[in-house]
Amino acid sequence: MLSLSIAARFLRKSPAQSILIAAGIAIGIGVQVFLGSLITSLQTSLVDQTIGNSPQLIVQATTAGAPLDYTSGLQLAMKNEPQITTAVPTRSFSAIFKKGADSAPLQLIGGQLTQLDTIYDISGHLTSGTAQLGAAEVMVGKDFAEANALKAGDTAAFVLPDGKPATLTVSGVFDSGSAAANSTTAFVDGGYAAGVLGLGADQYTAVDAQVSDVFQSKAVAESLRAQPALSGLKVTEWQAANADLLSALRSQSSSSYMIQFFVLIAVALGIASTLAISAVQKTRQIGILKAMGMKDRESGRIFLWQAAILGVSGAAVGVGGGLVLIALFTFAGRNSASLFPIHPQVGFVVISFVVGVLVAMVSSLIPSRRTSKLDPIEVIQGG
Amino acid sequence: MAEALLHAEDLGKTYGAVAKTVALTAVSFDLQGGEFASIIGQSGSGKSTLLNLIGLLDTPTTGRVVLNGHDTAAASRKQRAALRNDFIGFVFQFHYLLPEFSVLENVLMPGRIAGVSAADLRPRAEEVLALLGLEGLEGKGANDLSGGQKQRVAIARALMNRPALLLADEPTGNLDTVNTKAVYELFRELNRELGTAFMIVTHDRSVAQQTDRILEVQDGMLLQDVRNSYVERGPTGETELEEETERGSAEQAEPAEAALEARPAAAGGPAPSV
Repeated sequence: MLSLSIAARFLRKSPAQSILIAAGIAIGIGVQVFLGSLITSLQTSLVDQTIGNSPQLIVQATTAGAPLDYTSGLQLAMKNEPQITTAVPTRSFSAIFKKGADSAPLQLIGGQLTQLDTIYDISGHLTSGTAQLGAAEVMVGKDFAEANALKAGDTAAFVLPDGKPATLTVSGVFDSGSAAANSTTAFVDGGYAAGVLGLGADQYTAVDAQVSDVFQSKAVAESLRAQPALSGLKVTEWQAANADLLSALRSQSSSSYMIQFFVLIAVALGIASTLAISAVQKTRQIGILKAMGMKDRESGRIFLWQAAILGVSGAAVGVGGGLVLIALFTFAGRNSASLFPIHPQVGFVVISFVVGVLVAMVSSLIPSRRTSKLDPIEVIQGG
Repeated sequence: MAEALLHAEDLGKTYGAVAKTVALTAVSFDLQGGEFASIIGQSGSGKSTLLNLIGLLDTPTTGRVVLNGHDTAAASRKQRAALRNDFIGFVFQFHYLLPEFSVLENVLMPGRIAGVSAADLRPRAEEVLALLGLEGLEGKGANDLSGGQKQRVAIARALMNRPALLLADEPTGNLDTVNTKAVYELFRELNRELGTAFMIVTHDRSVAQQTDRILEVQDGMLLQDVRNSYVERGPTGETELEEETERGSAEQAEPAEAALEARPAAAGGPAPSV
């Protein structure tokens, strides 16, 4: 294709100009890949830290405190919901920890440890003691243990909801990553909780669940509410209770999109102006090519091809550069708890590449149009 | 008579929408295939405008150009470009070589514009380069050549697509006398050997006198159209003319030599063409 080979030659014969344009695209796309991946990973990290180890969806009886029958129909309804990755029946109650004159309220969640782990990952966050929940055992959070000078093996005295005293042995201490959760939540055996609450074998206070895409929790909750097995039950999901977090995430996304948008605009303007200068510089060549019979469209394609070549090469370098930046960031933060790993999404990287090429192509429309409209006589008469 | 290669009919060109400048008025003539003609006139006379119109580089305000049977009056830009590529070769005062390309690539360009691959065009390009004595320069950059070489490459490029008509606008304006003489001798040779029709715009009467036909333009009008026949070329390059005046715009027959000598002010004038 003649326009392609002319475009390539024009670029090769103006290396400084070509490299400048490609570098502009590369920087723009590199920033986009890095920033986009950073924000996405930051949000994933935030969401994971906030709700990763807690139920994202809770099924309860409509009346507060009333027991919920975990029937086979309810189990099947939960199981058949494709987004739900785990559903754990729990029995929760509040108790007051007593130590001498001191006391502290604590939310005790009762269940089977293996099941509880699928949501809370208590065993994975164990800092001391053993991950086990025997009949009279409790696993407490790190902050609660520190505040009350408790360690694994100690006994802890509680006042139960019915006012009766109880003594439980601390089997292990965990760190959920959240000081609030560490201070206010503890885990006990499900059977023990049933005894405290006076519940039958299939009776629970809630079914806790997690979903594969946390931002789909609303739709999953809607779907569950529509099921007959859940009639008379209340389904709550994390987004309803975390409006502030969602708002922060949305603001973060918006600012990220704004930055990416203006970076791309800056890149587009840079390419457009440089290509426009290039088109002016090549007016004589284009004019004589047209005098020799080159058609308007073919001559216009010269600058489209230039943009495509610059766009592909610049965007490729930009994607590579962005990935290198991500690798450096991840490497720098490998031992830091305050930094988080960035996971570039293949789809986003591909979109960034395509956007880079498209921005270059769109930027070439003006010089391309100008070239295709050029009359050879303008060049011939102008000498 | 066979259909003319070029039929110019009532050609006129006016520039400007408000302040109008008439560059050419009612110029009509036919050019047969293989003719060796020149357009002569003073600076600003309209000779280059005429060449641009018959070369389909510009569109006339009035009249029409029929090229090889194709009436271009209603032709689109695309059709005009295709006709230029098929039938016309251009040589300008400035060589207009593409500095980004080698000599060979420059010569190949009209063929490549026609859609033929470089590999298929190469034998023809080498043949044309050899014809112009440019062997060995194929790989050189256009900017690595002397002025005379550049113009020869431009001529080679113009001949690449075997045009029926070669239009040259002051082709030796930037060359010294030796190269100027060589170029015109080359034109004459190409005309004889290839049968290519030539139309050369010049302000130099001595150059015009070496052509077979002289169209003189003055104040945008075709003043006269004089047909010459070479009977002999002397050792000094002087020519003896057999006068055969076809017609003048004023409808008066005038002997060619007398007609040319009657306007000495224009002869050898330094002013460039328009």
